[in-house]
Amino acid sequence: MGDFILLMISAILVNNILLIRFLGNCPFLGVSRSMDTATGMGLAVIFVLTLAGMITWLVHHALLIPLGLEYLRTIAFILVIATLVQFVEMVIQKTAPPLYEALGIYLPLITTNCAVLGVAIINIEEGYDLMTAIFFSFASACGFALALVLIAGIRERFALVEIPRAFEGTAIGLITAGLIALAFSGFIGLV
Amino acid sequence: MRDIVRMIVVLSLIAAASGLALSLIYRITKAPIAYQTIRFVKEPAVKKVLTGYDNDPILDRKTLVVGTDDKGAPVEITIFPAKRQGETFAVALEGKGKGFGGLIGVMVGISKEGKVLAIGITSHSETPGVGSRVEEASFTDRFQGLGIEGAVTVDGISGATYSSTGVMSAVEQAASYVVKYKEEIF
Amino acid sequence: MSIKEEFTKGLWKTLPPFRLVLGLCPTLAVTTTGINGMGMGLATTFVLIFSNLFVSLLRKLIPPQVRIASFIVIIASFVVIVELIMQAYFYQLFKVLGIFIPLIVVNCIILGRAEAFASRNGPLASLADGLGIGFGFTISLFVLGCIRELLGSGSLLGVAVMWSGFEPFTFMLKPPGAFVALGILLAFMNLISSYQERKGG
Repeated sequence: MGDFILLMISAILVNNILLIRFLGNCPFLGVSRSMDTATGMGLAVIFVLTLAGMITWLVHHALLIPLGLEYLRTIAFILVIATLVQFVEMVIQKTAPPLYEALGIYLPLITTNCAVLGVAIINIEEGYDLMTAIFFSFASACGFALALVLIAGIRERFALVEIPRAFEGTAIGLITAGLIALAFSGFIGLV
Repeated sequence: MRDIVRMIVVLSLIAAASGLALSLIYRITKAPIAYQTIRFVKEPAVKKVLTGYDNDPILDRKTLVVGTDDKGAPVEITIFPAKRQGETFAVALEGKGKGFGGLIGVMVGISKEGKVLAIGITSHSETPGVGSRVEEASFTDRFQGLGIEGAVTVDGISGATYSSTGVMSAVEQAASYVVKYKEEIF
Repeated sequence: MSIKEEFTKGLWKTLPPFRLVLGLCPTLAVTTTGINGMGMGLATTFVLIFSNLFVSLLRKLIPPQVRIASFIVIIASFVVIVELIMQAYFYQLFKVLGIFIPLIVVNCIILGRAEAFASRNGPLASLADGLGIGFGFTISLFVLGCIRELLGSGSLLGVAVMWSGFEPFTFMLKPPGAFVALGILLAFMNLISSYQERKGG
């Protein structure tokens, strides 16, 4: 149990998937302008990433390895992820239409979120067993959501402040991310 | 209906073409990739125990089947030959011996004349500061010039008996392979 | 637009990742040295060129409902090809770029160009588009990599160039430095383009 807690702290803080490992940046800068979209995206990612981590692990160990097709890992994983997102989209549309409206285009965008494919690959590279892989996927996604919400909170404040024109938009977002990453770097050595 | 059939056909064709192209490229790159991964992992150790060769020991590596494990699968060892003008004058191979914390991997360089040229520790799980001292030159140098027939013994490191004997049995194992397969190797 | 214009637009007007704000993950992660940045850029360009070409060639045959899935299969195939080739012939670079090589498949630039351009234009134009954007991306990565390498390790392309006694800003090599460097570069480019606007307009 202690190992899992350490893994979670490591994945969320010390090796934050977005600020330290650099995975998941594209949607990050697009979605983090308001707290609402950030929270919605964060929750969606947690759901998809945990499921994807589990399914890709199973596909790798039950299908690719026995058939000696490990070199097809990338293509198999991305197909699994794309299908999963499509499926999740349909389910949310049927069961929670307002949520579907709120997430809008960001849901299919999760397919190209490097964090999802990245974590799936890390699970295999680090040789995690199924339980650890699921935990790691969940924890990484939480780290992503955390970073997203933090930055959105700050960027919302920017609307009230004068920013030099050249820095408006993405540039100041990046610098903010950098400063938060600096804060998170302080966690190194915690675990 | 026609639409769905068309979708399935197009997707299947693309997937098939992709599968064909990928397995082709995989077949072509398999050997170079194996070479690169072995070179990356083993070359530093091989370079430590062999000198004065003009070939590429990793490229010229040979694999020998030395027996079968309990499941009936063949057990193989890899031999890295050092050559001068096409003549193999020495080889490097890895032996394993049981140390204190687990198996110790030792890369052993052996000359054609049957003498140990040098050894290098490739992997171990020994206690840091105690058993790990078998990596030091003061210990590994003791193996230079030893004959490869029979038992291999050197002065152990005091306080690290199991680690020392682990290295000795690893060198012995490597030596025994060279003696047994002398014909195939040289 | 002429073929030449399709190519050159990738070098400034729609320069990724600055003007075309896509493909940020690899940009931040691998630009610790100029060479790494260039290597990543070239690998991405390879995939971009071929995916654009094949998507364009097949554009009339792929039914619209399955186009994203088809694009993904095509792009992923070329990514696997790049992975295998790099593993076989460029092992050092492969080890350094690590997980970001398979991640080329979700590089929004490639899927973005396939959807926005290659699926609606002829093969030659798509090829030019891929080449231009790919080269633009490679140059951006190379420049960012060089800046971070210069300030972070005091070297350029592996050769120490700063004066001795220069304390490297290792901050530049770490994650925060990547974000900040990219942010500042982006602001700089915005300045240039607004200056151009004022001059031209």
